[in-house]
Amino acid sequence: MTARKRKKMNVSRKLLYIFSYLFIAAWLIPIVWMFITSITPRGESVTIISELFTPPFTWANYEYVLENAMIWRWTFNSFFVASITTVLTLLLTSLAAFALSRLRFVGRNLIFWLIIAGLMVPIEAMIVPLFQIMIELNIVNTYSALILPNLAMPLGVFLLKQFYDGVPNELMEAAKMDGAGLLKIYWKIFLPLSRSSMAALGIFTFIMSWNDFLWPFLAVNSESMFTLPVAIPTFQSSFSSELMIPMAVNTLASVPAIIVFILFQKHIIQGIAMTGIK
Amino acid sequence: MKDLFSKKGDHLAAYLFLAPFLMIYGMFMVYPIIKGMKISLSEWKFGLDPEFVGLKNYKTMLSDGYFWEALGNTLYFVLISTPVLIILGLLVALIVNSGLKGTVFLRAGFFLPFILSISVMASIWVFIFQPYTGLMNSILQKFGVQQEIFWLNEPNLAWMSILIATVWWTLGFNMVLFLAGLQEIPKEHYEAAQIDGAGPVRTFFSITLPSLKNVILLIVVLQTINSFKLFGQPYLMTEGGPGSSTRPLVQYIYEKGFVEQDMGVASSMSYVLFAITILVAIIQFKFFTGKQE
Repeated sequence: MTARKRKKMNVSRKLLYIFSYLFIAAWLIPIVWMFITSITPRGESVTIISELFTPPFTWANYEYVLENAMIWRWTFNSFFVASITTVLTLLLTSLAAFALSRLRFVGRNLIFWLIIAGLMVPIEAMIVPLFQIMIELNIVNTYSALILPNLAMPLGVFLLKQFYDGVPNELMEAAKMDGAGLLKIYWKIFLPLSRSSMAALGIFTFIMSWNDFLWPFLAVNSESMFTLPVAIPTFQSSFSSELMIPMAVNTLASVPAIIVFILFQKHIIQGIAMTGIK
Repeated sequence: MKDLFSKKGDHLAAYLFLAPFLMIYGMFMVYPIIKGMKISLSEWKFGLDPEFVGLKNYKTMLSDGYFWEALGNTLYFVLISTPVLIILGLLVALIVNSGLKGTVFLRAGFFLPFILSISVMASIWVFIFQPYTGLMNSILQKFGVQQEIFWLNEPNLAWMSILIATVWWTLGFNMVLFLAGLQEIPKEHYEAAQIDGAGPVRTFFSITLPSLKNVILLIVVLQTINSFKLFGQPYLMTEGGPGSSTRPLVQYIYEKGFVEQDMGVASSMSYVLFAITILVAIIQFKFFTGKQE
C-alpha cells in the first residue's frame, strides 16, 4: 500500500470514528435525558438544554415513586412471570423437540407441521377467544393467565429440534447400549449439549415476556397484579404535564433490565441473533 | 414403514414427551383459533348468549370505514418503517462491524433501547415530542426552528413520531440480524475483491449487499408481520389519534371486543388479521426461496 493511500485510509477512518461516535451519542440521548430529568427537582425547567446538566439534582422523585407506586410489586410480578414462563417454555419445548427429532412414531410429521404452522399465528389475532378461555377457566387476573398462553411457543420447538437433529446418532445408540432410558438420554445428553441453544431461547423468551404489553394489559385488571409494562402507563397517566415523576418511574423500571443487559450483553445479543435468523 | 414400527416402545414414549407441550398448544393455540371462528360467526354482545348469525359480522366489518382505515394504517406503517429499518439497521451494523475501538460499547449502545419496556420507550418519546416542554422542540429551536410543533396532534407528524420511536426501539434487533449476516460472508470474498482492485463502494454493492439478501428479506417479513401486530406504540403514544388516523387494526379489535363488547365483529377482524399474517409469511417465503434457485 502506498503512503498516500494509507494516509487517505487514515482520514476516512477518522471520519468514520467521528461519525460513529456522534451517532451513538445521539442514539443514547433519550436514555440519558430520562435519567437526568428523573433527578431534576420537581418544578424546575427542563426546556433549556444547557441547564439540563447543571445541578440542583435530587433523589426526591425516586422517594416519591417508591412511596406512591407499587414499583417493587410490579417489578416482582414482571420478574416472576418472565422467569416461570422461561423455565416452563424451555422444559416443554425441549421435551417436544426431543421426541420430534429422535423418536419415530405415528403422526410425527403431522404434529411437526401443526406446530410449525403456529409460528405464523400472532397472539394479537386471538385476544377475544383467548380472553373468553380465561373466563371459562376462571383465571382472569391471575399469574396463570399471564403465563399459560405464552408457553405454547412453536419457535422453541423448531429451534431445539434443529439443534437435536445435528446431534450424532452414535451418542444416543451408545447410551442405549448402556441401558439408559429415553428420559435419561434426554436429560443427561441432549439437554447439556444444547446449553447454548437453550440459553438463546431462554433469553429470547425472558425478554419477550418481560416486555409483553398487550396480553398482560388484557389479562389482569387489579393494580397488584400488573406487570411493569401495564403499570407504568397507568401510574403515569396522572402526570401528563410534569416529567420528573414519570421519568423516575421509567428509570426505576429499566434499571434491572439495563444491569442484566450490561452483564450478559454478549450472550443476549448472540441469543437474539440465533433466534432471529433461524 | 418397517423402520417406523420396528421400535414399538417409541410411540408411547414420544407422546409422553410431547404431551405437556401439546396440551398447552391445544388449549391456548388450536382451541382459540377454532373458538375465534365460532365467535366470528355469532352475534355476541355483553350479557347475552351467543347466537349463530352466519357471515353477518364479516359483512358488518367490510362495510365499516374504520376497519378499512385501520387496515390502511397498518400498510402505511409497513411502507414507512421497513426501508428505514433496513437502511439504518445495515448502516449501524456496518459501523459496529468495521473494527473500531469500542466495538462492544457501540454494539451494546445501539442495542440498548430494545431491552426497554414498550411503556418506558413510549413514555420517553411522548415527553420528548411534547410541545413547549419537550426535548425535540427545544433542540429544533436551537437550530432556528421558530414555530412550536405539535408532534402528536397532526396525523402525518403523529406517524412520524411513532416511526421515530419504533425505529429507535427496534433498530438494535435488526442490527443484530445484519451483524450475523455480515459475519457469515467468507473473508476470501473480500480478499478476492481487493486483489481485483475493487474500492469500498464496489465491494459493498457487489459482495456485501448481495450476501445480505436473506437478512433483508427476513427483516421485510418480520416488519410486515410486526406492523400487522402493531398496538402498543400508537396506543401509548397517540391513543390512535388524532381522531383515528394512527389507529392500527389490533387497537380497533381491542376497542370493538373489549370496550364496545362486540365480540362477533372483533373476531371477524381478528380472522382477517390472522389470514393476512399467514398469507404475508407464505408469499414472502415463496418469493424468497423461488429467487434463490
